[in-house]
Amino acid sequence: MMEQFQEWAQERHSYAQEWKKQTGGKVVGYFCTYVPEEILYAADILPVRILGSHEPQDVTEPHIFGMFCPFCRDCLAQGLKGRFDYLDGIMIAQSCIHIRQAFTSWEMHLPTDFSYYLPMPNHVQSKRATPFLRGELEKFKGAVEEWTGTTITDEKLNTGIDLMNTNRRLQKQIYELRQGGNPPITGLEAMYLTISSQTTSKEDHNREMERVVSELSDRSTGRSIGTRLMLVGSENDDTEFVNMVESVGATVVIDDHCTGTRYFWNESEPNGGDPLEEIARRYVDRPACPTKDWPDRTRIPHVLKMAKEWDVAGAILIQQKFCDPHELDIPALTKAFHEAGIKTLFLEFDVTVPLGPFRVRVEAFLEMLSDEDLF
Amino acid sequence: MVSIGVDMGAKNVKVVVLRENEVIGKALVTAGLDTEGALKEALQSASREAGIDYDEVGNITATGAGRKDVPMARDELTEVGAAARGALFHFSDARTVIDVGAEEGRGVRFNAEGRVIDFVINEKCAAGAGAFTEAMARALEVPLEEFGPLSLKSDREIPMNAQCAVFAESEVVSLVHAKTPKKDIARAVHDAIASRITSMVRRVGVEERVALVGGLAYNVGFIDSLNRDLETEVLIPPDPEYTAAIGAAVVAAERGAKASEGGENS
Repeated sequence: MMEQFQEWAQERHSYAQEWKKQTGGKVVGYFCTYVPEEILYAADILPVRILGSHEPQDVTEPHIFGMFCPFCRDCLAQGLKGRFDYLDGIMIAQSCIHIRQAFTSWEMHLPTDFSYYLPMPNHVQSKRATPFLRGELEKFKGAVEEWTGTTITDEKLNTGIDLMNTNRRLQKQIYELRQGGNPPITGLEAMYLTISSQTTSKEDHNREMERVVSELSDRSTGRSIGTRLMLVGSENDDTEFVNMVESVGATVVIDDHCTGTRYFWNESEPNGGDPLEEIARRYVDRPACPTKDWPDRTRIPHVLKMAKEWDVAGAILIQQKFCDPHELDIPALTKAFHEAGIKTLFLEFDVTVPLGPFRVRVEAFLEMLSDEDLF
Repeated sequence: MVSIGVDMGAKNVKVVVLRENEVIGKALVTAGLDTEGALKEALQSASREAGIDYDEVGNITATGAGRKDVPMARDELTEVGAAARGALFHFSDARTVIDVGAEEGRGVRFNAEGRVIDFVINEKCAAGAGAFTEAMARALEVPLEEFGPLSLKSDREIPMNAQCAVFAESEVVSLVHAKTPKKDIARAVHDAIASRITSMVRRVGVEERVALVGGLAYNVGFIDSLNRDLETEVLIPPDPEYTAAIGAAVVAAERGAKASEGGENS
């Protein structure tokens, strides 16, 4: 039932190429989920997220320091290896300096027709963040209009907003089905669902979600649920890892990743006629990435609320090696989880994940969680 | 009741036979590629030493990297849980166990019942593990069994910067060229490993008392460095390489007793 999402996620390049052939439209690759896809959809452009491939590579060394995170290097490697040759443009919204390095390096070595850096404010907790971002979105809209030679009307913007909101609503609805005692989808299927939403046209993705959502409530995965786990971290599209975790007596029921809930958790709210302000507010208010979550750590109560509502027994804190923003949050997150009676396992991720040693850790963690049964 | 713990390690198979909380038989067989044969041999030899019949055995629990390949085991336990239970078997006041084998270093903190509170395992690096000592002893052309005692003779501290076994070897070679006495280099090597292990174990919080198990618990030079680094005196059990197998045997006994209490339905 969920196979289509997996196929889209795995065949993302051929999907985008086929989309281009069918529609004659432009494809823009984006590096961060703070990019306002609404505006791209309003211009009939397909936004696709640039993700890595989890293969060892040796092409980024001249361009990115070795102590930058493996994810940003993996992303750049995809460009340098020609896997995104079909892109007409690239863009990023300010989040962390590592992924921005991948963007600027891509801009320099793989020139495209269109390239845009959106200064998404870091201080989203300021009341000036929304008007600031609104102004930047206006400039961005202008740049897209100039590139495509079209005018993006408010009507088109509202279409883009609807498409994005529908996608967010449906994904959330499916994730909410995992709250119950017998989640109808596995963590792996959920991961494919969200990754594919970032690499597929939202029109296709919404249609497929609408098709499956009604049938999902009666679905059983036919496997034992085991220990209910949450994944927390930056980007994580490591399907092999989730598959391993779910093969040793656990089910991932919820996450806080930008390849997961942070991407779709909140919708934009209608504000009576200013779509750009509506979009700006949505990105300022979304569950924050740690690069923007200060001076208050709003992410902690949000994550704990999810952990409670999805009834998790433990959380795996996933750290992309050298990802400073997330690393900074880990002690505070760990403390908060422990105070809430939820145990955590910290794992450091690289381009490839050592499945054997990680299995040892995950099994020991699960044993620790179920230890009460021993005595 | 008799229970058996099997530790199917990466290199050796260890078997322990336990009766009323007492080790009555044990065996260690190097597995090589024939793990099945080694397991059989270790089981037979430990049972022979214990003088038991197979039908006396109440329960068998397997641990170690190859614990899935122990067909006669009725249940299993991770290496982390086994290290905690094994350490507690020897020392009722132990709350942290450091387990350093050839390729892995682990730290486990546990409560008075042996329940794991937190654990840490070394990542993708051999510099904190036994294989590092072997490589450094080789570089110094000192037999491994003399490497520990040699280091005890040193009263000099030489900091080693390298965190990688390969680079550390070139650092050792530089020290050799600078005519540094071997005993001081040996101590520098043990200090470096102890420092890496200590900083790793501090992540889970070191709670007294601390037991040291695994192959490196035979190395007096490493023990000395670790004691200085942790500012404590670590507890060393007899036959430290059997600790995980003992932990498995203890759990086998508990689970076996629980199953028989629970009657036929359990």
